[in-house]
Amino acid sequence: MDRAALEVRRGEVFTLLGPSGCGKTTTLRLVAGLERPDGGEITLRGRVVASVPRRVFVAPNRRNLGMVFQSYAIWPHMTVFDNVAYPLTLRGLGRGEIRDRVARVLDLVGLAGTEARAATLLSGGQMQRLALCRALVYEPDLLLLDEPFSNLDAKLREQMRLELRLLQRRLGVTVLFVTHDQIEALSLSDRIAVMQGGRVEQVGPPRSLYERPGSAFVRDFLGSTVILRGRVAGLEAGGVSVIMNDALAGCTVVGRSVSVTALTPGAPVHVAIRPEDIEVDAGPGDGRALPGVIDALLFVGDRYEARVSLGGEQRIVLMLPRTREWKEGQPVSLAFPRDAVSVWPA
Amino acid sequence: MSDSGAVRPAWRIESQSVWCTAVLAVVAFGVVYPILLVVLQSFQTALPGQAARYGLDGWRAALAEPALRTSLLNTLGVTLVRQVLALPLAILVAWLLARTDLPGRRWIEFAFWAAFFLPPLTVTLSWILLLDPEYGLVNTTLAALPFVGKGPFNIYSFWGIVWVHVVTGSLTVKVILLTPAFRHMNASFEEASRVAGAGPLRTALRITVPVMAPVILSVLLLGTMVSLQTFEVEQVLGVPFRFFVFSTAIYDLLVTRVPRYDAATALAVLVLLAMLPLIFAQQWITRGRRYATVTGQFQTKPHTLGAWRWPALLFALALVVIVLGVPVVFAVLGTFMKLFGFFNVPEPWTLENWTTVLTDDLFLSSLRNTIVLAVGTSVTAVLLHSLIAYIAVRTRYAGRRLLDVISWLPFTVPGVILGLALLWLFLGTPWLRPLYGTTALLIIAGLVSGMPLGVQIIKSGLMQLGGELEEASRIAGASWWTTYRRIVLRLLAPTLMAVGMITFVGAARNIASVALLSTTANRPLAILQLDFIAQKKFEEAVVIACIIMAMSLVGALIVHVLGVRGNVG
Repeated sequence: MDRAALEVRRGEVFTLLGPSGCGKTTTLRLVAGLERPDGGEITLRGRVVASVPRRVFVAPNRRNLGMVFQSYAIWPHMTVFDNVAYPLTLRGLGRGEIRDRVARVLDLVGLAGTEARAATLLSGGQMQRLALCRALVYEPDLLLLDEPFSNLDAKLREQMRLELRLLQRRLGVTVLFVTHDQIEALSLSDRIAVMQGGRVEQVGPPRSLYERPGSAFVRDFLGSTVILRGRVAGLEAGGVSVIMNDALAGCTVVGRSVSVTALTPGAPVHVAIRPEDIEVDAGPGDGRALPGVIDALLFVGDRYEARVSLGGEQRIVLMLPRTREWKEGQPVSLAFPRDAVSVWPA
Repeated sequence: MSDSGAVRPAWRIESQSVWCTAVLAVVAFGVVYPILLVVLQSFQTALPGQAARYGLDGWRAALAEPALRTSLLNTLGVTLVRQVLALPLAILVAWLLARTDLPGRRWIEFAFWAAFFLPPLTVTLSWILLLDPEYGLVNTTLAALPFVGKGPFNIYSFWGIVWVHVVTGSLTVKVILLTPAFRHMNASFEEASRVAGAGPLRTALRITVPVMAPVILSVLLLGTMVSLQTFEVEQVLGVPFRFFVFSTAIYDLLVTRVPRYDAATALAVLVLLAMLPLIFAQQWITRGRRYATVTGQFQTKPHTLGAWRWPALLFALALVVIVLGVPVVFAVLGTFMKLFGFFNVPEPWTLENWTTVLTDDLFLSSLRNTIVLAVGTSVTAVLLHSLIAYIAVRTRYAGRRLLDVISWLPFTVPGVILGLALLWLFLGTPWLRPLYGTTALLIIAGLVSGMPLGVQIIKSGLMQLGGELEEASRIAGASWWTTYRRIVLRLLAPTLMAVGMITFVGAARNIASVALLSTTANRPLAILQLDFIAQKKFEEAVVIACIIMAMSLVGALIVHVLGVRGNVG
């Protein structure tokens, strides 16, 4: 980890997103107190819990945090009840109160009635819910989630994602969430920090990161992108028009510039667009749209997946709606809506 | 084409189960049948050669004769005290090696591993040099100090026997088994407790120890079974002061002029019965250990020892000196002494012991026997054990579970009883009787006693291999035999070599299970060494001890280089 300044606001879901080895789990473990920082400072609700310059380090058990581990870390020698009651016992609560609170939190996630069961007999999804109960039952100041869905199958993952979102809204708990899955991050977060190589690339709400990525890394990590090469033709109000290279020579696309410095006419650029924003029509284009030919077509159930050749070596993969018939070899026209196109210096 | 395709699989399945049944029958004949013979023999009061006569004399003797009853109580006492002393120490060492930043922990772990290979008798001889009540180096040194009249230690005592056991098998085997278990424990169990609000001590007591409890208990039970295997330590240290455990008592009953087979076998059956609950408990725990095995990819840092780093290292190094350093150094020193143990005579050193032993005909014939025995055992063991492991892991043969259990059975049978059982097998079966007194008999003993570990190691090797590599070869058109030769054997070669080496070492140093089977004709080095000690010829004995130790340590090194870890669980 080097240089990162992050702030999580009370009541929000803040996500650290990035490829494996980018430092997101280390950041989470630093917040939890499971790792010691080499420099810098961590503050929780106005209390400094770790600070190298001030020589402060608060042990993890004195930070009042909740954490769900990737492996859930459900203690195998305890029952469901014992697992959830453990943190409450540590906080010196009475027996009656512990029973009430455990029952309430288990009910919240649909585990009511499993109290006496051995924790190892639960299914993967149940274990995950139990880990969540254990982390929430003592109302921690901050809930840490370390890739909590990575050991679930796809169906269950979707369901748990939704459940977690609803639960978080209901309880208003602040969450610091670590994942490498962009869909989890986009769907669950209030704000996302995209990390790479131990650095924070960009912080912002999911939609603005997706629609207005600040760097090529963020753009390519969040969703898929179609990138075409061209040359700046001219600047217009709020946009840049670009003449395409190679087989598309002569076609023009207009988009907004993402460059910090002004682009000069003739400068080589990349034109980027999310594939779902491309408007595809059957038949050859009318001049403003780019021409293409479907050279491979896969029916994947709810839609078609098509590889479209733009002439020469340029090929892009697009999703086509099932509402129309498509054929391999069919010419299509691709319109690039101006708002969806961004122009990057090459 | 289609005809042969339809017919051949049916034929192959048939031939496979025939082969498997043959293996099962041979293994059962070598393991189960002798034990049944021992049980039967305990009710047989006539001497061999006389007409069979059945009665309860043997059982009456085993249960009522004070000497035999005492031997059982002594066994219990030594076993209990050994385990109680060794277990906490082993847990501490395993934790230091696996979960802390102890300097040099890899080397220390290897030292324990090497110490595990030291022959118990060699270690015993080394400690005699230090702790003999009259001339032991520690005692004479202490006696030279003011206010100490006589050396305080006596190795020929209950505590002497316990000490030698703790520093040989008891401690090292537990460290070897516990260290990997501690290493593989999911660290997030502890971290979850810390985040939930528990301090380090409470986490250790309420999470770490309970989570590890099944493993610790399992190792304790295995350790107890292993501890019942030895015989030579008590034979050398206990007999001089008339202290008998069950194994030395059985030996004593049989090597007199009028052997009492009925009492010896009854005693053996009693010990086997006492082992049953241990076996069931161990199996039950191992089965129950179905814990959440999902581990995080995040490798946690070891605990920092901080200021405890150097005291902990000192402690670990002191243990290494005791379990490895002292035995090796003093065994070697002992071979160069004019009078074993006497450091303070003028000119104590000599090369004579080596020249005497190396030119002794007894030694040369025993060396020949040992080499034939060790090579024969390791070659047959690799063949038989890999066959058993292969049937247990890879085939759908109906009796594969039974075969698996039988192959594990010798682990629970103390060596002397195994020897006794094989003795009955060979004396009681007319067509096997000519083998009595040959090395083949000793090879069979080594084969059976090495079976649990050998099969276990090959099984885990096969399981790691996965079936798909073989299936891919079959699909590519290779026959079963070609696949076995060109895929399985090639990939498994290091494992098989390690098993061969372990069996080689085991056979070369094995005393307990061959003590009753060896005669002057087939006597191996290990038994010659025991005979020398019985005749108080310590100088010759220690030279042989050194040779066996060298073989063991070279074997250990080869196995280590091959990268195979024995997992007895």
